[in-house]
Amino acid sequence: MRYYETLYIVNPNLENEALDITMGEIGTELEKTKSKLINHRVWGKKRLAYQIENQKYGSFILLQFEGGEQDQMNEFNTWMKLNNSVLRHMTVALDEKPEVYVEEVKEKPVEKEAPKDTVEETPANEAVVETTSEETETQSDVTEEESTEETETTEDVSDESSEEDTEEKEAE
Amino acid sequence: MAFQSRNKFCYFKENGITDIDYKDVRLLRRFVNDQGKIMPRRITGSSAKMHRKLVRAIKRSRSIALMPYVDLGSE
Repeated sequence: MRYYETLYIVNPNLENEALDITMGEIGTELEKTKSKLINHRVWGKKRLAYQIENQKYGSFILLQFEGGEQDQMNEFNTWMKLNNSVLRHMTVALDEKPEVYVEEVKEKPVEKEAPKDTVEETPANEAVVETTSEETETQSDVTEEESTEETETTEDVSDESSEEDTEEKEAE
Repeated sequence: MAFQSRNKFCYFKENGITDIDYKDVRLLRRFVNDQGKIMPRRITGSSAKMHRKLVRAIKRSRSIALMPYVDLGSE
């Protein structure tokens, strides 16, 4: 099967909810052609090179799919033409299978960087945690022999040690 | 000498571009003059194969209003 890409322009003044509804309508209309949807995402609001229906701006939406039945594709084309919320659309055949678009690409590298820093710092932290846990263990051994009430105090101690850990981390 | 030949080269071959995407307006802008006309191959120096792809991409991006048919500058 061939892969296709439809780029269409929607009125930029539509609110997010209305935009979602129109995108949903177009998605369901495309599914009638038995084509498999790969990507359907907002490309962004852009300035049009020339005015269309007195609009200077338009929100571009990219739709990538694996082609379905040809006859029904023509119907989809005419349906898109008659759709009033779509200013203009264009379908193009793709040479290769399009990659699935993953959102928030910009934020991911930041998240990756953060764990690296922690990894570098962890050896020191682990050492601190081990020493504190040994201390709490020794204390708990003593308290278990005496009474249940003082076990609560050991918990407090452990809480304090954890607080100390956080303070140390913050200091680092 | 009065006439010195400029080194013409195919931008796409030089940069290893094999396919031109009609959505890449920033690239296409380089091959269009300030009126929005497609520049001839004898000026851009691009190979015949890539020029054909370029022309197709520019015409596609014109039809979806990413690039102008006629750029009159200020509106």
